[in-house]
Amino acid sequence: MDSAPAISVPVAEIGLRQEAKERLYVICQVGGWGFFFTLQAVFSVLFSKPEDHHDPVETSTVLVVVTAVGLLLTHYTRPLITRWGWKQLGWRPLVPRVLASSVMLSLLWSMSTYGIIYGVMRTPWTAKISPLVVFSFTWIQGTTLFVGWLCVYFFYHLFDRFNRSEIERLRLATSVKEAELRALKSQINPHFIFNSLNSLRGLIDENPDRARQAVTQLANLLRYSLQSGQLETVPFEDELRTVNDYLALEQVRHEERLRVRLDVEPGVLNLSIPPMLLQTLVENAVKYGIAPRREGGEIAIIARCESGQLRLQVTNPGTLAAGGGSTGVGLRNAAERLQLLFGDQARLDLRENPPGCVTAGVIIPLETEPGMGARALGSPRGADNFGRQARRPDQKTVLPA
Amino acid sequence: MKALLIDDERLARNELRRLLAKHADITVVGEAANADEARDCVGKLGPELLFLDIQMPGDDGFALLETLEPPLPQVIFTTAYDEFAVKAFEFNALDYLMKPVDPVRLAAALERLHDREGSPSGAPPSAGRIARLAPEDKVFVREGERCWFVELKMIRLMESEGNYTRVHFGDAQPQLFRSLNAMEERLDPRCFFRANRRQIINLAWIDRIEPWFSGSLLIHLKGGLKVELSRRQAQAFRDQMSL
Repeated sequence: MDSAPAISVPVAEIGLRQEAKERLYVICQVGGWGFFFTLQAVFSVLFSKPEDHHDPVETSTVLVVVTAVGLLLTHYTRPLITRWGWKQLGWRPLVPRVLASSVMLSLLWSMSTYGIIYGVMRTPWTAKISPLVVFSFTWIQGTTLFVGWLCVYFFYHLFDRFNRSEIERLRLATSVKEAELRALKSQINPHFIFNSLNSLRGLIDENPDRARQAVTQLANLLRYSLQSGQLETVPFEDELRTVNDYLALEQVRHEERLRVRLDVEPGVLNLSIPPMLLQTLVENAVKYGIAPRREGGEIAIIARCESGQLRLQVTNPGTLAAGGGSTGVGLRNAAERLQLLFGDQARLDLRENPPGCVTAGVIIPLETEPGMGARALGSPRGADNFGRQARRPDQKTVLPA
Repeated sequence: MKALLIDDERLARNELRRLLAKHADITVVGEAANADEARDCVGKLGPELLFLDIQMPGDDGFALLETLEPPLPQVIFTTAYDEFAVKAFEFNALDYLMKPVDPVRLAAALERLHDREGSPSGAPPSAGRIARLAPEDKVFVREGERCWFVELKMIRLMESEGNYTRVHFGDAQPQLFRSLNAMEERLDPRCFFRANRRQIINLAWIDRIEPWFSGSLLIHLKGGLKVELSRRQAQAFRDQMSL
């Protein structure tokens, strides 16, 4: 089953985000460098002394060149940052990288502006200080400028990343809640309940003892499905008893059309499993393997404990193409629940294993890594709130007739 | 009234039989556990009423109705919990009972059946297979979640679509589960007319007739459909109408 809980962001949403980001980038670039340009212009007017005899056209050309080169340099730095994966870095490795790249950018910036202004445009050198000193000064000044630019850039991305992880977290929480809700909803198929009640009515005259027994079984099943919803895991034994009740009721309905084979290792009875897991598999097997076939068939339940894993198999007659096409909500929910509880360590798959049969297989790890959010197995949590009073060891693998 | 019980669960059939025992006017003539058995029983026993479960192994209740030879008996659906089916019933005011069956509701459904019995629909069941269908006889059609028992007189136009026939009535045009030729054999030629290879029209729904190219006719049906009569059929139409 390829049904990891999908925390997908709709494609349209991604497109919109990208567009908004692009717009913000353009605004910041234009605004920032525009501000830089204005600031330089204001300074050059304020601090120019009349005896310097600056040509205003020349001054503004210099400013335009300086600004444009800066804008272009930063603009082409942006894809490099993405390519080098700096956006994914934490602030600690970022600091030296920001400093070094600022120094390099500033050097490029100073050299190209000096080259254009004094080399290409042949502006005469009017200052009284040596060009080397002025160049160094420009270099240092430029470095602070680019540090500023990069800081703004990375601050935005750090913030964005934090925001996004927050959104992801909320999304995950929602999907967990949804899965829980769906699990609760799909606990027992109403179609089954009403059909059972109907058969029960028919059974009352025909076989009062069996009818009485069936009432108890239905009550057990309903109680289990209502209570176990609040538990993370239940003892396998409790789940198996419920499955037996369920199958007994289905046998009232389908009579000789439903045959059951149970093969459960005694060792697995004390293990814990998510509630309604086996029940879902068995319900599915009846729905797709027995109900649609006139001749009915056999459902085999196998539970084993092998190499640190609990392996469950439920086999029913049928083909994947016929019934499995609509494998439906039940199994998907179960797979999702396993994924939430155990991550990639658990598996639920559906295959056409013995020819002419469909086998649903579940593998659950017996011990989970700490921090998986799954203190599930080995600790029979909830066992005490539930079902203890009804436990009878001699009933373990006995299927009601 | 002869009734046939169709349900895959023996206990469910027993229970219904027990409930029906209180209604002297209903005689249960047989039981069927699936659609195939039901088809046989309908042919042999000629029931006037079906109690029909929707979900069965093999063909479901709807598929059974689609393939039954008309005229159809009366049908009361029984279902345990089937949201889609129930929606379809309510949409078309078909009669259905929820399982476990409430005796009071059963009595009410049978009561309604008696009220409707005034109409000849479902009256002559299995009176020879080749019998013509009356305008009041019904066919069962289904499209998506909607299904209908539609009286033949309500059908304006039937169009051949391979082995199926598209029927136009009301604002719907679902597919009927038999070929146009098979339908034609059963239709009353005083009510239905073969316009061309692909279409049969209901004469009662003709709005106006327009002379068309080279001796053919264009027939406007009420509700806006237009049908062209082939030259040969136009001649046959003129002959029949002038009688």
